[in-house]
Parts: sequence; C-alpha cells; structure tokens
Amino acid sequence: MAGWLWFLLQLVIIAGFVTYLIISAKKAKQENRTTWFMKTWEKDSVKSIASSLMSIILGLLIGCLILFIMVLIPTQGSKLSMKSAIDGIQLIFSGIFNTGRNANGSLIFGFNSVNIGDMLFRATPLILTGLSVAVAFKTGLFNIGAPGQYLASTSVTLILALSIPTSVVHPIFVWIIAFFGGILVGALWGVVPGIFKALLNVNEVITCIMMNWISANLVTMLFDKQIGPFKNLLDPSGTKNLAYVFKTTHNGVATPKLGLDLIFEGSQVNFGIIIAIVIAILIHIILNKTTFGYQLKACGSNKNAAKYAGINDKVCTIVSMAIAGGLAGAAASLYYLAGNTEFAWETYQSLPAVGFNGIPVALLACNHPVGTVFSAIFISLLDVNGMQLKYMTPYNEYITSIITAIIVYFSAFSLLFKQILNGKIKINLKNIFKRNSEKTVETIEKETATEDKKEVIE
Amino acid sequence: MENYAIEMLNITKTFGGKPANDNISLQLRKGEIHALLGENGAGKSTLMSILFGLYQADSGIIKKDGEVIEIKGPKDANKYRIGMVHQHFKLVEVFTVLENIILGSETTKFGFIQKKESREKIIKLSEEYGLNVDPDKLIENTTVGMQQRVEILKMLYRDNDILIFDEPTAVLTPQEIEELLKIMKRLAESGKSILFITHKINEILAVADRCTVLRKGQYVGTVNVSETNKVELTEMMVGRKVEFVVQKEECKPGDTVLEVNKLVVSGSKKNKNAVNNVSFKVRRGEIVCIAGIDGNGQSELAYGITGLEKIKSGSIVFNGEEITHSSVNRRNKMGLAHIPEDRHKFGLVLDFTLENNLVLKKYNEEQFQKFRFIKKDEIRKYAEELIEKFDIRSPQGPTNSARTMSGGNQQKAIIAREIDVNPELLIAVQPTRGLDVGAIEFIHKQIVAQRDLGKAVLLFSLELDEVMNLSDRILVMYEGEIVGELDPKQTTVNELGLYMAGTKNNVKGDN
Ligand SMILES: Nc1ncnc2c1ncn2[C@@H]1O[C@H](COP(=O)(O)OP(=O)(O)OP(=O)(O)O)[C@@H](O)[C@H]1O
Ligand SMILES: [Mg+2]
Repeated sequence: MAGWLWFLLQLVIIAGFVTYLIISAKKAKQENRTTWFMKTWEKDSVKSIASSLMSIILGLLIGCLILFIMVLIPTQGSKLSMKSAIDGIQLIFSGIFNTGRNANGSLIFGFNSVNIGDMLFRATPLILTGLSVAVAFKTGLFNIGAPGQYLASTSVTLILALSIPTSVVHPIFVWIIAFFGGILVGALWGVVPGIFKALLNVNEVITCIMMNWISANLVTMLFDKQIGPFKNLLDPSGTKNLAYVFKTTHNGVATPKLGLDLIFEGSQVNFGIIIAIVIAILIHIILNKTTFGYQLKACGSNKNAAKYAGINDKVCTIVSMAIAGGLAGAAASLYYLAGNTEFAWETYQSLPAVGFNGIPVALLACNHPVGTVFSAIFISLLDVNGMQLKYMTPYNEYITSIITAIIVYFSAFSLLFKQILNGKIKINLKNIFKRNSEKTVETIEKETATEDKKEVIE
Repeated sequence: MENYAIEMLNITKTFGGKPANDNISLQLRKGEIHALLGENGAGKSTLMSILFGLYQADSGIIKKDGEVIEIKGPKDANKYRIGMVHQHFKLVEVFTVLENIILGSETTKFGFIQKKESREKIIKLSEEYGLNVDPDKLIENTTVGMQQRVEILKMLYRDNDILIFDEPTAVLTPQEIEELLKIMKRLAESGKSILFITHKINEILAVADRCTVLRKGQYVGTVNVSETNKVELTEMMVGRKVEFVVQKEECKPGDTVLEVNKLVVSGSKKNKNAVNNVSFKVRRGEIVCIAGIDGNGQSELAYGITGLEKIKSGSIVFNGEEITHSSVNRRNKMGLAHIPEDRHKFGLVLDFTLENNLVLKKYNEEQFQKFRFIKKDEIRKYAEELIEKFDIRSPQGPTNSARTMSGGNQQKAIIAREIDVNPELLIAVQPTRGLDVGAIEFIHKQIVAQRDLGKAVLLFSLELDEVMNLSDRILVMYEGEIVGELDPKQTTVNELGLYMAGTKNNVKGDN
C-alpha cells in the first residue's frame, strides 16, 4: 500500500504546484505584470521539456489503460486479475525501484542497483543513435540509416578489437583503435547518403535504407560460418569448434568500469555512459556555440537563406551526415566494447532496433543534444520497467513489449505538444468530435501553415 | 444611432506582455472602404487577424450589425461572412483556380464534388465584378495579380460581405494595382464593406471613404478621406513631417565597379531565356535603376549577379575580377551586398532570432568569433546598435524570433544587415516593399548616403516614383532585354511607361 500513498502524494504536490502557477499567472496578467514563471515559460527550452513530459505522461497513461483492458478481455487460462493490473501500473511507473515482493505478496520498492545500472548501460548506445538522428534533423535531414551505420561499425569494431593481438599492443590502445575505427566506418556509411543528397539531390531516406541493407548483408557475409573471411576471428587456427558469438573480452578488451560497478553493484554499467554523455555535451556545444553549428542550423531551417549568406549547403549536408553516421558508429563501438555483450552473426541478417530507436529518442528530446541523454535513459527505463512487468506479473512478454512500444510511440508526440504550447495548433474539442463533412476554413489555414513549415525544413 | 457593419471596441492584444493592440476601436460602415494606416509594427495585421479569428483579443468586443459576436477561428469568421486576403496568399499551387475557390465549401452529391454548379457561380461572380479569372488554370501558372483575384473570388464565393485586404498592393505592379482599386470600388458599390491595409497613401486617397490611423499599437484617430490630404495623413501616422522627394546632390560617377557583358540566364521557362544578352555598367557613386514590369527578367538578373542562379553565358566583372562563376561566399567577401526580392525565401532564417539574422553574413568575422566559437555578447551588442540605428521594432528586441516580427520590420532588418556590411556594390531589389512612408524615406536616405560614400548601387524597382526619385540612370528591361537607357531628369513617367510596355526602344542594334 505504501507505493500507492507515495503515488497519491506526488500527484497532490504536482497538482498543487500547477494550480499555483496558473493562478499566479492569471493574477499577474490582470495586473499587467509578468511572473518568473511566465518569463521562463516563454523560453523555448522550457517548452521543449514541458512538451516532452506531457507526451511521456500521456504514453504512460495509455499504457496503464491497456493493462486494464487486458484484464477485461476474457481469455482461456488467463491469470490476469485486477490485482495484476494494479501491480502492473506500479511497475510501469516505478518498476526500476522494485526489489521483489514481501511476505503478503505485495510489491516492495527500494534502491535496486542492478536495475538502475542496467538502465544506464542500455541507454549508452541509445543516446548516441538518438544524437545521430537529432544532428541530421537539425540540418533538415532524416537519418533513417542509423541501423546500417551501427551495424557497419559493429563489424569493424569487433574485427579490430579481436584481431589486434593484446600481447603486442596494450588493450587500452586496442580499445581506442577499435572505438575510432567503428566511428570512422559509421561516418563512411553516413556520408554516402549525404553525398548523393548534396550532389545529385537524391532523397537521403532512400539512400539510407539502401545502405542499411547493404550493411546488413555485408556484415552477415563477413562473419558467415562457411564463407565469412572473419569466421575464425576467435580462433585463428580454426581447430576448436567455437560457437559463433563474438565477444571482445576474448581478446581481453573491455571498457573499464571506473568504479561505476561499485555504485551500481551487480549491473552491466561501465564507463561508456560517461563517454556518451560527454559526446552529447560536445555536440550541444558544437551546434549552439560555434560558427559551424550556426551554419548547420541555418542550412537546416532555410537552405535558400543559407545559400544567400554564402554558406555552402552541399558541404553542410555532407558533413552533417558524416557526423550523424559517426555517432551511430560510436553507439555500436561502445556497446560491443563493453565486454559483456556478444555478437551472434545469425541474428544480424536483420537490422538492429537500437538504430531505429534513435528516432523516438531524438523526437522525444525535440532534437536537443543534451535532451537525448534524458530521453534515451527514459526509454531504457521503460525497457527495465517492462522487464519487471514480465517477471513480476502474469502479463507475458509480448504484452509488455506492446505497452513499451505504445509509450515510446506517444513519446514521439512531443513536437505536436510543443506546437500546441506555442499556440500554433489550436485544439477545439468541439471540432474534433463533431463529424463534419465539409472541410473547414480552419483546417485549410492549418494546412497552409504546415506547408509553410515544410518549406522551411526543405 | 448608426448601424455599423462591424465594430471592434476597445480591443487589446498582448504578445508576451507587450501590447500589439492597445485599446483600439474601429467602426466599419456598411458599404464603405475603410483604410487602416500605420507604421510597420503598428498592429494592423494583428487587429485584422483578431477580426478574422486567427488571434483572440485579450479584452474588447466585436459587434456585427449591432450584436456582440464571438470569433474563435476562421470558421466562425466565415459564419459571420468575414473574409480575408492575406498578405501571403494561401492557395494550393497544384490545384486549379476552381478547386482553390471551392476548397473548404464544396457542394457535394453522394460524396462527389459537384463542380458544374460551382463553375457557373464562379463565372457569374467573375463577370459581375470584372475579375477576369480562368477557372481551369493551375495556380502555379498564374500571375500574382490573378492569384489575388482568386483570393477575392474565394471570399465572394462564400458570400462574405466584410472583406479584409492586408497589404494587397505590396506585391502588385502599378497596372494591377489600378485594376484592384477599381474592383474594390465595384465591390463597395454592391454593398460589401471593405477594410483595406496599405502603406501607400495615394491609394487611400483614391478609393477609401474613411481612414483609421494606428501608431505603436494605439489608436490615433479616424478621418474622412475627402477632408484630408497626404501630408496630414502622414503626420498623423508617423508623428512628424515626411519628405516624399529625396534630396540628393549631383551624381559624380567614378570607376566602373560592376560590368555585365552579354549575360544570359535561362530561368524557369523552357525555350526562352529569362535574361537575354544583357550588358551594362555600374560605376562608383551612382545609383543605376533597373525598371520594368514585374516578370521581365529582373529577378533572374539579380540572382545571376548575386550568384544564386547559374549563368548560361556572358560574364560579370566586379572590381576588375571576373566573378561569373564565383561562389556566393566569394562575392560577399568582395563586398557585394544584396537585399533580396523575397524576404522569406532568401532574406531571413525565420526560425532564428533577430540578432542571429543580423549577423547572417558576418558570423564568421573576427569580431563575432574566436577559434570558431561564437561571441554571443558581441552579437547582442552589434544587434542592439543596428536595431537602434535602423529603428527595427520588435517586442523582444534582439532575441525576438524573426518569424513573429511584422512584415515591414523584417524588411528593415535585412536592409540594416546589408547596408552595414559596408559594401562596394549594393544590389537592392524592391528594397522598400511593404515599408511605411517614414521608413521609406529613411531607407532612401541610406541608399543615397551609400552612393555619396562612393559605393555603386544597383536598384531594382517596380515603383515608378521610386525609380524617378532615386536613380541617376534608368535601364528599362522588357522580355529579358534592356530596351532603354534613360536619364531620370530628362524623361517623364509616361515615356518610361512606353519603354516598360515594350513599345519604345533606344538601344537597338547594340548587342
Ligand atoms: N505571433 C506573434 N507573436 C509575438 N509577437 C507578435 C506576433 N504577431 C505580431 N507580433 C508583434 O506585434 C506587433 C504588431 O505586428 P503587426 O504584424 O500587427 O504589425 P503591422 O502593423 O501589420 O506592421 P507591417 O506594416 O510591418 O506589416 C509587432 O511588434 C510584432 O512583432
Ligand atoms: Mg502587417
């Protein structure tokens, strides 16, 4: 029951705070004053954060709704009860703090070092693929090629980390070589769509998808059990019949933990998370504090004006795609250099989800580089909570995945919420519910408004 | 008590704490043309957007025929028969005129659009008001003037009787303006009530019955047009006297700065070059003006010289260096400044702040960056200087997003940026489009000052007044070629018109 009280208390505090803000703002408006809140509210970043939170909450609420619906749908042998739905809600919101059940069978919560550490570990590559998508977005490009870039980098990272003998080169240097090797090949994979876009005006989405499948098949071929040139990476003599799972610790290469394993005991987290956060901050600085970032953003929001200002928009497109590719590459390097992860070639005839998940991460962060750190952590949090749901309640793993997916989906609505907050879209409930055969003037207004926006992005 | 068609009483609207409309009242009589006059950023568009339901007023009421009404969106406005022609048209390029007009109020039978009835209605309306539109033409193949008439038809088709025109004449040629004014008169005679925003006082004197003046978001007064004159209206609006004729000294041309030789630019039309074999020179200390009716290759010529469009053949020499195929960046660095024709397409990054737009061509300079890191404070300081010097008005000052600035102030920001790079050659394409008379006077003075500093100025203008007033030498363009070279002191507006229409030519045989 303690969990419930907690939850209620939080709700009351939040509701009280929001009411206070609204009332004080109203009063100030009457007296023609501005409050600190109104001033902060005008800031773009504040609106971004607020809209992200709103979409997260909406997603979570809908996730909870599904838990209830599942209980109500009668299926044979279903073990779901109202209690499992209530447990489920608690787990969706705070499964990460779950520490098991007490003697009465109710859930207990507390600091769970394994869960939190694992969340950070899972967030590491997501931060970077999210950044990859966000950087491209800022330049007006859609990098749907992150999975391919990730996969290309996976292979090069593994090849370098496993084939350079650590008896000759210090493992740290092998690590560094493999890390940068992965970034380079990721950048290469990203730069191809960039070049096609800049020089031939081929839509980057098409080229990216093509590059994804080239990558998927190429990597599978490289490590193929029969014909792959790197099939014997783990065992150069080829005598031992090893399972074909590639793991960098085989060569003694692994990202150091640097004490993080002491804080988050028993979890997989390592120094990679710090590297990812540092990279996010670096990208933030590059985009917002340097002339190079100024150029990229100018190209992204108005290509014609950028051209007019003497900015080479072709170079911008190419470089931005190279950076995006490099970031997706770094994601793979950090993931596979962790040491506890393994790569099984059979499974990789498909494209890695972590690449695609960069898209919701970027959307949820409204393309803000530092924001991707938080949104990636949030999405991994959902994963961890989902796992708790699967282990602690009768909900099966498929339902858990569906719920996580729905929450992620709604999270991506943050841009919509931001437009609402900016007053660009007016919501009129009456209009939504009234079925209207004729197209209203209002919708036309809106359409032209979005068209204008599109033009800007193009 | 008089019964007004529309009354807007004590309207106040603030954006982020800054009032754009401060207790403004406006009464529109039935069947009158009511002009709305005010400086850039005075709040005219805001007031009209409130009437059309795009914004909600913070306080104040709107009455129609004496009854209080509430307009929550364009749909409500339509219900009360209020229509608006926006400054930037809202037409679907790939639809026909007919489809654009009926969009949003299609008559349907079993879910199929009944075009026949609509077509008849449109043709009838078009004839009734002399609008002369072809319902089956695609919008992308029509002229700006035609698009405007389509917007007017859109309002008439919906039986609107309150018609709002937001700066309709800013984008039209003098001929089209004359036609539009006639149409407006006809509409008013048939009982429609019209609200008309313009910066051109002559137009107000020509068609309006009454005129309401706003200044800095406040109501100044309403006057009967028959009892006033240009000088008085200007004073009401700006709060001081404005000189309409630019005072300038004799022109003393120096060395050649720009030399254009047999230039050909292909443009968008097939099998016809937009710019065909054009040659001319611009010297230090003179203002050369390219005049002509819109669409005769002036835009392409400007884009060709500034490097935004590729050159097919011919050459451009700038300060002794050939720049025919140089990058835009190179041209900018050599001292070429460009006030572009289309401020939203080229002139501004609308999502950037005003200050970031003001350094669009300078962000890379020593003053604003160190080791490629942007010096934010320097940019702020510089932006504040320019805002002060060029009187750029925006509620949030340098940090205002360019998108929410008023049209005229966006233009002033571009002009400030381009003049302040201290150029060798200033290419100004319709620099005063959408500016109020006070701002026009100021900009004209700035352009003359540039000339007197020994800079070369190449001006493109559609306004005959501006051409005659400002230039030292006029080149007339017709169908992509230069057909006349005139001295403004020795020519008349009539003669200029003949050249522009292509009936006269004094550079024959010269190619
Ligand atoms: N959506 C908005 N958000 C914030 N400020 C706005 C917005 N729209 C207009 N403003 C501000 O309100 C003021 C009045 O703008 P408005 O567009 O009504 O001027 P205007 O009289 O039409 O000027 P112009 O002749 O230049 O078109 C300006 O200072 C403008 O920056
Ligand atoms: Mg306006």
